[in-house]
Amino acid sequence: MKDFAFFDAQCAIGAPILGNARGGETAAGLLAEMDRNGVDKALVAHANTEAAGAIFANENLLELIRADDVDNRLTGVWTILPAQCGELPPPDEFFAQMAANRVGALNLFPVAHRWQACRLTIGRLMDAAAERRIPVFLGQRIMDGGWRGVFDFMRTFPAATVIINGVSLWGPDRNIRPLLENFPGCHVELSEYWVPEGIADLARLYGAERLLYGSGYPRFGHGSTMLSIRHSGLPLEQVRLIASQNLERLLAQAQLV
Amino acid sequence: MKKAVWEQPGSLAEAFWKNGIADIPIYDMHGHMGSHNAIYFARCEAPEMVAHLRRIGVRRLVFSHHYSLMGSFRNQRVHAITARFPDILRMYVSISPHQTDFIAEDLEQFDSMTPLAIGFKFLPDYHKVKVTDPRYEPVLNFASERRLPILVHTWGGSPYDGPDVMLEAATRYPQVTFFMAHSFSGDLPGAKRVADACPNVYFELTSLPGQHTIIERLCADIGSHRLLFGTDMPWFDEYQHVGGILSADISEDDKHNILYRNVEKLLGKDW
Repeated sequence: MKDFAFFDAQCAIGAPILGNARGGETAAGLLAEMDRNGVDKALVAHANTEAAGAIFANENLLELIRADDVDNRLTGVWTILPAQCGELPPPDEFFAQMAANRVGALNLFPVAHRWQACRLTIGRLMDAAAERRIPVFLGQRIMDGGWRGVFDFMRTFPAATVIINGVSLWGPDRNIRPLLENFPGCHVELSEYWVPEGIADLARLYGAERLLYGSGYPRFGHGSTMLSIRHSGLPLEQVRLIASQNLERLLAQAQLV
Repeated sequence: MKKAVWEQPGSLAEAFWKNGIADIPIYDMHGHMGSHNAIYFARCEAPEMVAHLRRIGVRRLVFSHHYSLMGSFRNQRVHAITARFPDILRMYVSISPHQTDFIAEDLEQFDSMTPLAIGFKFLPDYHKVKVTDPRYEPVLNFASERRLPILVHTWGGSPYDGPDVMLEAATRYPQVTFFMAHSFSGDLPGAKRVADACPNVYFELTSLPGQHTIIERLCADIGSHRLLFGTDMPWFDEYQHVGGILSADISEDDKHNILYRNVEKLLGKDW
């Protein structure tokens, strides 16, 4: 087992507004499930960001992680907002705060937080994030227009380092393949990619370095995608890339300070 | 640190993790075949599906063809496809309540499709016809007389195949063995209500393995002896779904029940 380290790219903790946290209210709950399944590390967002907002979620996420993560196995994901209202510090300061607080990636919820994801609102931040290769999570569920919103975002910020998440269980190849083909900085986390033999197909077409293990916790458990990656049929060195090494690389290459 | 689920000595999880296969048969009771309007399938025809099934050790996949459920592809043609892989494929005769002439023909020809055809498949949510509608009656009566299984797409809250409708159908036809596809996804209390009232009902798990704590709750509330493994193949990867069963926080016995024991109790080992 330990010849396969797993680094989970898609986790969330915190109490959702509608309940049903399935044990993920605290980092302790997540860490226990990671241990039960043999997952080493995780990149963690707040489970209630859409309802509670970026300001609360960014702060509360750190509190939750610090309360239980004594071995520093968890890395945070912070949520961005438009620059004009001054709710977040300027990019350099924001990125420095991320580094100081073990936060390694960004996400955004423009529909829930009622703003337009475009160059006018986040151009300066996204240009800086792209230049510093800071990973940004992007998903069809949270963008205005679904996949159209994802495509618009990628056309607007083609140099961004992006992790496409929440791809939907209804085989998303018609949408993710054009993104992988056209944007070299685009990656896909696999928690909802359940296509038979599909992981190997994507790796052969676009490279195993574009794919990331993600559990989707707490909606999904850790184990099912672990087994589908383990037995994807790919060479072991590519399995290891997908299981953990790609995410390690993305976080290491991000220049937060 | 306690060993991970994949490292438990002698467990199914350990075997599948190490080898990708274990010394048990897997019965996948919910499959399809053919392309679909809303999704790209790289492997939706029999040869490539069978190759995927063999890799993980599926002994039987029972499927209904998309073209028969959604279009006018006749079940005899599905039988011909099934007959190309008799060691692994079995079929459900697909029923559309809107094609009463097809239903009459399928029932008349059913014997010629056995033993590869083991029962019927209903898709009420898509056909927008309740299972209790008279148009399904000829099939329900036929299945009742012969004690055949019917795999019914079920979904929580559906007026066509939700718990209320299926409770009525399963009570009215106690000789039919109903397989509730997706186990009324999203409505665990509804599933339990049907399970408690209807011993002729089994719960098929497509799309549920991998969803955190769902398999655990189904085992606790309904019992693993009533659960059947399925994947919607070619929709979902066998390793993903088997992984969802193996990594669930349930007993080793529960996992054996779900993956093969329950089917062998219902249909035997030689079918």
